[in-house]
Amino acid sequence: MTKNEYVPFLSEVLEVIPHTDIEYTFRMSYVGDVRPGQFFEVSIPRYGEAPISVSGIGNGSIDLTIRRVGKVTNEIFEQYKGTSLYLRGPYGNGFNTEDYQDKELVIVAGGTGVSPVRGIITYFASHTEKAVSAALIAGFKTPKDILFREDFALWKKRLNVILTVDDNTADPTFPQGLVTKYIPGLEFKDIKNAAAIVVGPPAMMRFSVKALLERGLSEEQIWISHERKMCCGIGKCGHCRIGDAYVCLDGPVFNYSRGSTLLD
Amino acid sequence: MGYYFSPEGINKVISGLSEKYDIFAPKLFPGKGAFSDTDLVRYDRISAIEDVVFHMKSRFSPKEVLLPLTQTLFYYTEDSVSEPRPPVRDRLIFLRSCDLHAVRRLDAIYLGNVFEDHYYRQLRDHTKFVLMGCSRAFSTCFCVDMETNIPTGYDMSIDLIDGEYRVDCRSKDLEDFLVPHSTRQGEVVPCHVTETPTRVHIPENLSSSAAGSSIWKEYDSRCIACGRCNFSCPTCTCFTMQDLSYTDNPKAGERRRVWASCMVDGFTEVAGGAGCRKAYGERMRFKVLHKALDFKKRNGYQMCVGCGRCDDVCPEYISFSGCLNKLEEAMEEVNGNDKK
Amino acid sequence: MDINTKKLKKNAFRVTKVRGKTASRIRVPGGHLDAGYLSLIQEIAEKFGNGTVHITNRQGFEIPGIDYENMPQVNAMLQPIIEGLNINQADPGKGYPASGTRNISACIGNRVCPFACYDTTAFAQRIEKAVFPNDLHFKIALTGCPNDCAKVRMHDFGIIGMTLPVLEKDRCVTCSACVKACRRKSVEALTAVSFRPSRNEEKCIGCGECILNCPTSAWTRSGKKYYRLTLFGRSGKRNPRLGEDFIKWADEESIIKIILNTYDYVEHYIDRTAPGGKEHIGYIVDRTGFEEYKKWALKDVTLPEIAKVYTPLYWSNGISFTGR
Repeated sequence: MTKNEYVPFLSEVLEVIPHTDIEYTFRMSYVGDVRPGQFFEVSIPRYGEAPISVSGIGNGSIDLTIRRVGKVTNEIFEQYKGTSLYLRGPYGNGFNTEDYQDKELVIVAGGTGVSPVRGIITYFASHTEKAVSAALIAGFKTPKDILFREDFALWKKRLNVILTVDDNTADPTFPQGLVTKYIPGLEFKDIKNAAAIVVGPPAMMRFSVKALLERGLSEEQIWISHERKMCCGIGKCGHCRIGDAYVCLDGPVFNYSRGSTLLD
Repeated sequence: MGYYFSPEGINKVISGLSEKYDIFAPKLFPGKGAFSDTDLVRYDRISAIEDVVFHMKSRFSPKEVLLPLTQTLFYYTEDSVSEPRPPVRDRLIFLRSCDLHAVRRLDAIYLGNVFEDHYYRQLRDHTKFVLMGCSRAFSTCFCVDMETNIPTGYDMSIDLIDGEYRVDCRSKDLEDFLVPHSTRQGEVVPCHVTETPTRVHIPENLSSSAAGSSIWKEYDSRCIACGRCNFSCPTCTCFTMQDLSYTDNPKAGERRRVWASCMVDGFTEVAGGAGCRKAYGERMRFKVLHKALDFKKRNGYQMCVGCGRCDDVCPEYISFSGCLNKLEEAMEEVNGNDKK
Repeated sequence: MDINTKKLKKNAFRVTKVRGKTASRIRVPGGHLDAGYLSLIQEIAEKFGNGTVHITNRQGFEIPGIDYENMPQVNAMLQPIIEGLNINQADPGKGYPASGTRNISACIGNRVCPFACYDTTAFAQRIEKAVFPNDLHFKIALTGCPNDCAKVRMHDFGIIGMTLPVLEKDRCVTCSACVKACRRKSVEALTAVSFRPSRNEEKCIGCGECILNCPTSAWTRSGKKYYRLTLFGRSGKRNPRLGEDFIKWADEESIIKIILNTYDYVEHYIDRTAPGGKEHIGYIVDRTGFEEYKKWALKDVTLPEIAKVYTPLYWSNGISFTGR
């Protein structure tokens, strides 16, 4: 009999790192293969499951950055202290660092979209020699919505980082503007050797991809990560299907040459 | 091997089979239609050949036997989770050729598509199929055009011809139940239809660009997003998972899955409320292109088996086969737009 | 001309405003008939009437402009209709036996309408057989569902179809179509509890919307048919008012028995001096008190277990013509 993918395992909450009032990173015990961009189904029985992308991979642990938006995540925030959560996964393809090796890499991330790419950013920040160059354009609504502040401080030392907010009234030291504003100003030595990752809310992804295509990148040089309703995570329940792709199996990371053909 | 039976003989076979198998077949539920004084035909356990409805199409397909409308995935208590006991009895399902072909589609998703579904596997491994031959097509059937009219992969077949039951048996396990009660043996070829009143043509050049056609627009107002088309479909496989707690002990409960429909509100809704395909015409487009294009891209053959149930059950008289027949026009429209 | 008007009224003819002319009244119990009878009605109207037919409020036909002396010929021509509609008739060939009890009318019912919970015409015909002919002034109407298209609450006896919804839990996919339909179209008797619908039995009016809207046949109709019986609605010159609920989840047998019992009650208590010997039952009940009526009405009646009898029963004041 094959493995029953539906039965979750218990994972201990090792540490909780608050970023904002409604976004915490939960460091969970986990031993096994996992990639940035993959996700776990996180649950508290009685409240249900939620797909959460892996925002960090440690030794014997994974980070899950959770935004408090629904029944399940609400309960996770209420119950997390000193407990365990049920997990299933990891699911999905995740990012493949080799796709960006020796490239002029640009990562454009909006809001919680930073979570799935955090591992990739960290990888290229600690192995700067692996890419020709690496730039990060990250956007949040306001300064208080910024996630991974400590990481940003670290990344800034090693990568070209633009941290922007839609509204900087609260702290004018932050540049104000949408992430797309900074795409025309990106410098590429050889546009044919560029690679871009775009993750964030649908509208932000749409406009960022458009701006990148206008810069001369081809669809094949752009990767996106989709967020869709998911129940099973294993290509059965059908909720996440777009066109002939299952976001949970074939994604959530798609090369845009494929992603652009998928219709909701 | 072919066998012939009198009604008494076939009932002896069924009695014998019932010892080992739960036998599921389309069955008449008098007065259980939605409208008063109407009947319902759907799958249930049967104990005699007279229980099997041969002369009507079942409103719901046999998929509910392999993929129940509600299925418990596991039970939980405060500190543990446990799987339900696996099914112990084997099953026989009486079904028509189209529905048998539909099982192949269910298998593609539930046994294939990267992961295997534990619960489907449990039921599937304990299931054998009894083909109900079709001597004629119902008015909404279009199996011939979907190439599902010729049955394959059944364990035994059954046809009622001139008061006599004819069985073609392909399974050694079942043969033993047949031999003692047959009146005679001989070649039996199950009935199948070669033409249907409803015809469907899916254009060869169908592509996702058909989404840009204006044919979908009318469904915005015609469709009521009730999901009857999906729930009656033998090939729809979507479900939603739910946790519930027991009223007497809220700390214990179960996680279950229930059938879901891409036509019904909430199908794509994520926590926080965002979702795709708000317009019903978009949902129709998504469903139709899945059945006629997307599934085929992934699996190499058409998903729709042409059973026509969706046409039978739509309260708004939206014809799925009618919509498939508009796809050619849709492609001409979008290709024409491109040239402009 | 010498005509016994009392007698002709008991034979389903009417004294009209035109001197010398009468009108023939053709009752159609339950309002449904074979189309073939229409040509007979046409023939009578063209041969003996003035060539017109009135479709009545109570689901009959009235053929005006008939000479009084032609009544026997008209009666003879009516015979196939009377037989075809299975009307209780003492003297074959002598026309409709008419009376104070009015035609039992019905909405189109479940022969056609998806909302209807029963065959209204068939039940009307069954009541017809039980009560006709009768001189007492009874108005009975049947409607298929709580939409009450037949406006049965304007009648002495209003019969409203109900269906007892049965939920097969494991067929429920929690799509909430039933909950939404009940909320938007009916009485909000359904709420989702652990995703599945839960029915408030007190609130439920048995309209069947949950069943009609269920895409998986998880909600189905109970085998037995049920009815709501409303009492003593009336129109008229004195004090029109709507009928009130007497029994919810009643059955056919009980309803017929209650109607027959009411005839006994009225026979016993009617004001014999009432004009034309006709008195709306409600006024009699006002006189005797409801409890006395109930005693008579429920005599030897065995209601289904789930039936709910509303007692005591109060009617709203209705319309009072106070001379404003």
